[in-house]
Amino acid sequence: MLSAALTIARKDLTLTLGRGSGLVQALLLGLLLVFVFSLSLQPGQRMTPQAAAAVFWMASAFCQVLIFSTLYAHEEVNGQRQGLVLAPAPVQSIWLGKALAGIGMLAAAQALFIPAVIVFLGQNVSALWPLGLGILAIADIGIVAAGSLLGALSQGQSAKESLLSIVLFPLLIPLFLGGIRIGTAVFSGALAEGAQSWFGIALAFDAIFVAAALALFPAVYNAEE
Amino acid sequence: MLLRARDLAHFYGPRLIFKDICLDLPPGALTVLAGANGAGKSTLLKILAGLIRPSTGSVETGENSRGQKPRIGYLGHQTFIYPELTALENLRFWTSLHGHAVTGSDYAAILERVELAPFAEEKARGFSRGMAQRLNLARVFLLEADILLLDEPGTGLDLRSSAVLLREILAARDKGAGIIWITHNLEEDLRHADSVAFLEGKRLAFYGPAKAFRLSERASVPRPEPFETREARGGEPC
Repeated sequence: MLSAALTIARKDLTLTLGRGSGLVQALLLGLLLVFVFSLSLQPGQRMTPQAAAAVFWMASAFCQVLIFSTLYAHEEVNGQRQGLVLAPAPVQSIWLGKALAGIGMLAAAQALFIPAVIVFLGQNVSALWPLGLGILAIADIGIVAAGSLLGALSQGQSAKESLLSIVLFPLLIPLFLGGIRIGTAVFSGALAEGAQSWFGIALAFDAIFVAAALALFPAVYNAEE
Repeated sequence: MLLRARDLAHFYGPRLIFKDICLDLPPGALTVLAGANGAGKSTLLKILAGLIRPSTGSVETGENSRGQKPRIGYLGHQTFIYPELTALENLRFWTSLHGHAVTGSDYAAILERVELAPFAEEKARGFSRGMAQRLNLARVFLLEADILLLDEPGTGLDLRSSAVLLREILAARDKGAGIIWITHNLEEDLRHADSVAFLEGKRLAFYGPAKAFRLSERASVPRPEPFETREARGGEPC
């Protein structure tokens, strides 16, 4: 399963990076969000750390909708979906492959969003940055686990981006809340009491999303039209 | 037996496509699957490939000559080709996904056989329909499948490419592959077939040796039934 997933992820990254359009659109959308929020500030004014963290995660959320929409669209051109389903590996390897490609692209996008938030929204990174990296990794796993499942579900729908956003965002609220709480601590340098508990909550949601995706993906992604 | 289908029936919504379909695919046999447009040939092939579930009935795979689960190669109406990958990258992806060990010389050889060697490093988006179909054939034949399910593989091919296709199909049969081949060029392709399955009237109107199949009789309805219907069997499954 892992071998097939890596093959799919490698192919998706080659296609996306080679063509560029999917990732570039996702990056531009996220950066545009950060920039638009920066326009609400007076010259020299800083956005509150909590608001800046929220903007970062909002940019990440919209970015991943475009990422998974692009990743699953690769198989809608010449019936490749049938070929993937016919492969001897478990069909969940498609979910995993897309999730691996998705997390790579999301991490690349976030690597640009962080400096954008620092520069445009006037934030400083405190000594708590390892906590920020930790929640980033944990939240991203849950985001791509759910994103890969729902990306498959929305594929073929005429308004797939809208459908993906409407279904996905409410599910991801606990992960976003955890990310915003820890992000606030990273930007302000002060860790609120009980903030670490968000790591446990985020990990629990990761486990739920991964288990749900493994169980539901075969029903969601098949060759039937 | 590589593949055994029993009492297949399929509905699209309330519409019956076919029923009472029983097929056996032994190694080294070429079965031509024929019938009019809309008879359900492609649907049947997809069911045999495992792409869609039949409404009733079952499809079972046996073992290949190595005692393993047979590999299925499916060639449908769509080419499965990623336009933004090169011909070689497309082949590498599909063989890797199937866990099939292929060397660089194997890729070169198959591209040579389908006459795409000069285009190995070119992106498939610039390929004509015929070239894409030949790359699709290369994908299927490279997997060295034990069961080949071919849905009008000659579509879009010129005479020369059709000859390449026929050569590859016959070579695969000689190596022991069981092949089901949907064709509209029945008169021509019948010469190479071992058996014929003819879909008509939502059933297999003929299923038997190719030599016993008379194309001229297919236009007359009703006709002597060379196969037993389920009703004739007293409702017993085949």
